[in-house]
Amino acid sequence: MGIGDAVLPDPVKFVLNWGRRYSLWVFNFGLACCAIEFIATSMGRHDFIRLGVIPFAHGPRQADLMVVSGTVTDKMAPAVKRLYEQMPEPKYVISFGACSNCGGPYWDSYSVTKGVDQIIPVDVYVPGCPPRPEALLQGILRLQDKIAGEQVSLNGGARGARAARSPERSTARVLTAPLVRPDSSP
Amino acid sequence: MTDLPGGGLARGLLITLRTMGRRTGTQQYPDVQPALPPRSRGVIGLLEENCTVCMLCARECPDWCIYIDSHKETQAPAVEGGRERQRNVLDRFAIDYALCMYCGICVDVCPFDALFWAPEFEYSEYDIREMTHEKDRLAEWTRTAPPPPAHDPNGAAG
Repeated sequence: MGIGDAVLPDPVKFVLNWGRRYSLWVFNFGLACCAIEFIATSMGRHDFIRLGVIPFAHGPRQADLMVVSGTVTDKMAPAVKRLYEQMPEPKYVISFGACSNCGGPYWDSYSVTKGVDQIIPVDVYVPGCPPRPEALLQGILRLQDKIAGEQVSLNGGARGARAARSPERSTARVLTAPLVRPDSSP
Repeated sequence: MTDLPGGGLARGLLITLRTMGRRTGTQQYPDVQPALPPRSRGVIGLLEENCTVCMLCARECPDWCIYIDSHKETQAPAVEGGRERQRNVLDRFAIDYALCMYCGICVDVCPFDALFWAPEFEYSEYDIREMTHEKDRLAEWTRTAPPPPAHDPNGAAG
């Protein structure tokens, strides 16, 4: 508990969160068919730049929001985790579609990660297979509501403290390890 | 035919100019609700009165995302001196929408028309555990289900 943990006053919090929620530079981690719906949302018909979501991030280092759209396989999982860790705080993740929520139709597959939340923290889960573009827009609105209610302190608030403390919950080595068999000795 | 220098640029600018005058097709979603077709596969609603706990939907579901619990109740005989009957009473009907792949097999196999497609799509959540929706929420969605399409007058008689 240092000076950095002090919570900033409400007007500062309001302005900071207002800036954060309406300039979400998005990084699309498109892995399957859901990525097409993400692209549809970014195009003229649905156009999520209206909501302040900007799809021109040069890479994960310049992005605030990652949309994981599609099936995360165990082979891709280390890359998802690495690119998430390259993003600067504060960073947000939307899990888009059944596959990235919990594996979806591949819930019993040998090679599919059963949800991207096993490797990175997810802020909003958007249901669908694939979800409508409007469903992604609604997920973005819920994320913006969440950002508006965040506590802000000099070291990044609750999020920053959590990120600094978080242990390696599931490293790439753990994720790609073979099946753990139950102990057969009685 | 050879292009003049800058001809491609001029053609492109002409298309840009022509498109600039047209109306935009952007849907203003948060302000204006989209007009979804009645066949939209948005969400599956449950009409609890029609459910007989036959478990067909839960067994046919390729994702195993339907959870059903029930108990048996003994009913008094319908007429004097008749036999007592047993019927299943639905305790829990939940669909895990994080897992559901929206194939609609449960809606198709339901022999008593207890499941319906509704075009609702606004149910993203902050926590994966809240994505499993119980029967009271499913009943709300049933009320938003559009009426079934009218019979085709040119179709088969009967």
